[in-house]
Amino acid sequence: MYRVAVSGINAVDNPGPGVGIAKGLKEGSLEVSVYGLAYDAMEPGIYMKWLFEKSFIMPYPSAGEEAFIERLLYIKSNYGLDAVIPALDAELPLFIKSSSLLESYGVKTFLPTEEQFKLRGKDHLPKIAEKIGVKVPETRIVTSYEELNKALEELGFPVMVKGIFYEAYKAFNISQATSYFNSIVSKWGYPVIVQQVISGEEMNLVGVGDGEGGHLGFLAIKKLWITSLGKTWTAVTVRNDKLFSLAESFVSNFKWRGAFELECMVSGSDVYLIEINPRFPAWVYFAAGVGVNLPERLLKAALGLDPERDWNYPAGKLYVRFTDDLVTDISQFQQVVTTGES
Amino acid sequence: MNLQRLAINDEGFIFDPETGNSYTVNKTGLFIIKFLKEGKSEEEIVKALSEKFDVSEEDARRDLVDFMEQLRLYGLLEGENV
Amino acid sequence: MKEPYEKPVIQKLKTGMVNKFGSSPAYARKFRKDIEGVPVDELVERFGSPLFVFSEKKLRQKFREVKNAFTLRYPNVEFSWSYKTNYLDAICAVLHQEGETAEVVSEFEYEKARRLGVPGNQIIYNGPYKPYDSLVTAVKEGARINIDHFEEIADLEKVADELGVKPRVGIRLNMDTGIHPQWSRFGFNLESGQALDAVKRIASGGKLELVGLHCHIGTFILDPHAYEVEVKKMVDFSYTVEDQFGFKIEYLDIGGGFPSKNRLKGIYLPPEVAVPSVDEFAERVCSALLSSLRPGDYPKLILESGRAIVDEAGYLITTVHAAKRLPSGLKAYVLDAGVNILFTAFWYKFNVELDREVYGTSEPCVLYGPLCMNIDVVDDLTYLPPLPRGTRLILSPVGAYNVTQWMQFIRYRPAVVLIGENGEVDLIREAEDLTDIVRREKLPERLKLEW
Repeated sequence: MYRVAVSGINAVDNPGPGVGIAKGLKEGSLEVSVYGLAYDAMEPGIYMKWLFEKSFIMPYPSAGEEAFIERLLYIKSNYGLDAVIPALDAELPLFIKSSSLLESYGVKTFLPTEEQFKLRGKDHLPKIAEKIGVKVPETRIVTSYEELNKALEELGFPVMVKGIFYEAYKAFNISQATSYFNSIVSKWGYPVIVQQVISGEEMNLVGVGDGEGGHLGFLAIKKLWITSLGKTWTAVTVRNDKLFSLAESFVSNFKWRGAFELECMVSGSDVYLIEINPRFPAWVYFAAGVGVNLPERLLKAALGLDPERDWNYPAGKLYVRFTDDLVTDISQFQQVVTTGES
Repeated sequence: MNLQRLAINDEGFIFDPETGNSYTVNKTGLFIIKFLKEGKSEEEIVKALSEKFDVSEEDARRDLVDFMEQLRLYGLLEGENV
Repeated sequence: MKEPYEKPVIQKLKTGMVNKFGSSPAYARKFRKDIEGVPVDELVERFGSPLFVFSEKKLRQKFREVKNAFTLRYPNVEFSWSYKTNYLDAICAVLHQEGETAEVVSEFEYEKARRLGVPGNQIIYNGPYKPYDSLVTAVKEGARINIDHFEEIADLEKVADELGVKPRVGIRLNMDTGIHPQWSRFGFNLESGQALDAVKRIASGGKLELVGLHCHIGTFILDPHAYEVEVKKMVDFSYTVEDQFGFKIEYLDIGGGFPSKNRLKGIYLPPEVAVPSVDEFAERVCSALLSSLRPGDYPKLILESGRAIVDEAGYLITTVHAAKRLPSGLKAYVLDAGVNILFTAFWYKFNVELDREVYGTSEPCVLYGPLCMNIDVVDDLTYLPPLPRGTRLILSPVGAYNVTQWMQFIRYRPAVVLIGENGEVDLIREAEDLTDIVRREKLPERLKLEW
C-alpha cells in the first residue's frame, strides 16, 4: 500500500487536476491510499471520500518553505506518506526546491529541475520555441501601461493578456486589455504577458518526461467544447504526428522530468506552441481512461518502480466532463475548519 | 437575542441555522458567548474572566468591549445593551 | 490556579478564506526576545522605540559571503559600497574596513565619503546629475567617474582643460538583458548604437581616457541569467572599443541589483524559494566573464552590491500603540513606526516577529504607522494573535534604503544602534529632536509672535 498526496482538489468551475489524478491512481494496478492537499475547507475533493481517504489543509506556499514542509512532515509522521504529486503552478517552485529535503524524509516526488521549471515560464517561451524548432505567437512582456500600450499597438486586436502563473483573457480593445492587465497585476504581480491570438485548431498534449530525454507516454487531444473560463469540457483524442514530434523534441531537448502539458494551436501545416504547463492538466483522467495511466506512471517513476511506456491509444475517444453533487453534514466542514484535516 | 439560536460545539465551531453562517471562536470567546447567552451583564463577565483566567479586570474589560463589537458587526448581538 | 489567558476572537468563515493557517501559520510564527543576544527590552529602555538596530556580525558575514562567492571564481574583483543604500558612517566604516571602496551618486555622498576618510581614488562617482564643481573635485582627487550622458562628456572635457589633465573615465551603458522594466534612462544605450557614439565622441575629443564600462541593469533582480547577458554584452563591447579606438578597458563595473531575502510585494512565492543564492549570481557572472574574455585578459570586475549586503543586517523595533476594530471587522494596530521611517514598506512585506509569546488564534489584521495619513500602512494584511498594547514587533529585513530614504514628516527620526561582534551596543545615530529640524529656519522679525 502506497500513500500518496495530491493537491489541486478544487473541483470547481475552474477545476484543478487533483481529482483527475486521484481517479487515475485509484484505477491503476498499484494499491494506493490517496490524500488530498487543500488550501480551503470548501475544496470539493475534501468531501469526495471515495477518492481521498483523508484531506489536509495546507499553509499557502506564500507563507514560506518551513511551514509548508513542516505540514507535509506532520502528515508523513502521523499517517504515512510515500509520495506527493503537486498539481498547482503556484506550489511547484516550493516542491521543486524542497524535493531533495522531502526525499531525505522518504517522501518522493517526480518533478522538473528548477532550471527546467524556469525555462518553461511564459516569459521564456520564445527562447524554448527557437530551441525545439516550433513557432510561437508574438509575445511581449509588459510591466507598465506604457509597455502595455506599445505591445497592443504592435500586436493589434484581439490579443491575449496573461498572468505569469494563472489566468488568460482575450481582449478586443484597449479598455478591456487594460482592465485585464490591472486585475492580473493585482492578483499575480508582474510581469504580464501579452500575446498575439493565433487562429486554428486548439490541441493539447499531456505527457510525463522521464528526465533522461525519453517519456512515459503522451496523449493528444482536440478540445471540442471549452467553458467561458477556458476549461476543457469535451474533447476527443487525436494522433497528430507534428504534435508528437514537437513533444518529443521538447522532452529530449530539455530532458524534462515529470508531468507537462503543451498547449498548441494547429493552423494548417503550422503548429504554434502557446504555453507549457509543468504539471498535469485538469483533464488528465482522459489519459488514464484510454489506457495511458499517466498519473500512475508518474507515481511509479517517483517510487523508483518501472513504469509502462506504451501509448498506442486510439484516436476518436471522447472525453465528457460533467458536474455532480453530493450531500453531507456540516460536521465534516466543521472538522476541517477546526482541526485542519478530515 | 440572536446568540440563543446558535449551534456551538466545544471545539469552538459556531453554526447559525438562521443565516447559514459559520464562525470559529477561541476558548475565551466561547466562554464569553456562554455567559452572554445566559444573559449575564458585562461586569459579571469581566469578573468571571478574571477569576478563571490569568488576566486583569481592566484588560478583560477592554477585550470584552472589542469582542462584543465584533459580535455586533457579525449581527450576532443587537443594540447597545445585552 | 488560573488558566492562561488568550484574547477572545471570533472569525466568520468565508469561501476562499477557510484556511486554518492563513498566510502565516501560527506554528511558524516567530518570537524574538533579543537581537544578537541583546534583549529587545533593554534596547528599547536605553534608546527608545522605534529603534533601528544593525548587527555588525551579520553585516560582515554577509559581505564576506558575497565577496567569497565572486573572488573564488574570478581573480580581479573590487567591491564598491553603494552609499545610497545606507550611508550611515558606522555602516560605511564597517564595509570600508572589509575592503570596500565607495560608490556615490551625488556630491553629498561624495563629500560624506571623503569626510569619513575615503581617498578620492577609492571613490566611484555615478549618477545622472553631477554638478560641475563636483566633477572638478572628483577629477582633482582621482575619483573614477562613470559618464551618464553626452553633456557630461562635454563637462568633463572642460574640467580637463581647466585642470590640464586627461581624466580617466568610464561610461555607463544600458541594454536589454531580458529584465523588465529596462533601465534605459541611465547611460548610453548599447543596442541602438548610442554607446558606440559616446565612445567615438570621447575619442574624437581626445581629452578623456576611456578606461571603464559601467552598467546597472535594475534592482532586486531575481533572474541570475540577466547578469550573464549583461556581462557578455559588456565584454563584447569592451573589445569593440579596444579594437576600434585603442582604449584599454581596465574595469567592468556591473553595478548591483542583487536581491536580499526580503519579500517583495507582487511576488507570490516566499523569498527562500524565489530568491536565488549569491553563489548562483556569482557563478553566472564569473563563468560569463571567463568564457568571453580573451586569454590572459582579466579586467577588474566591480560590484556595487548594496541591498544584498546590508538589508538583512537591519531590524526595526516598533511598539503597538493601540488596537482598533475597523468597520469591516478587520483588526488594526497602530504602531509607532510607519512609512515615514520605513520607506521600503511600499514594496516589501517584512518579517514580523513578536518580542513575547502571545497566545491565541491568529486573526487577519493590518499594521498602520503613526502618521495622520491614509498611505501610512506597514502591512496591509498579516495574521497575528491578538496583541496587547505595548507588544513590540521586530520587523526585518530593513537595513537597505530605509535610513537613507526616511523622511522627517511630522515626527522625529529615531535612534540607530549597532550591535558589535562582542555584543557591545553603540549608538550610531542619535534620535532627532526639535533643534535638528529648526536649525536652518529663519523667522522674519515682523512675524515674531507675542503671545
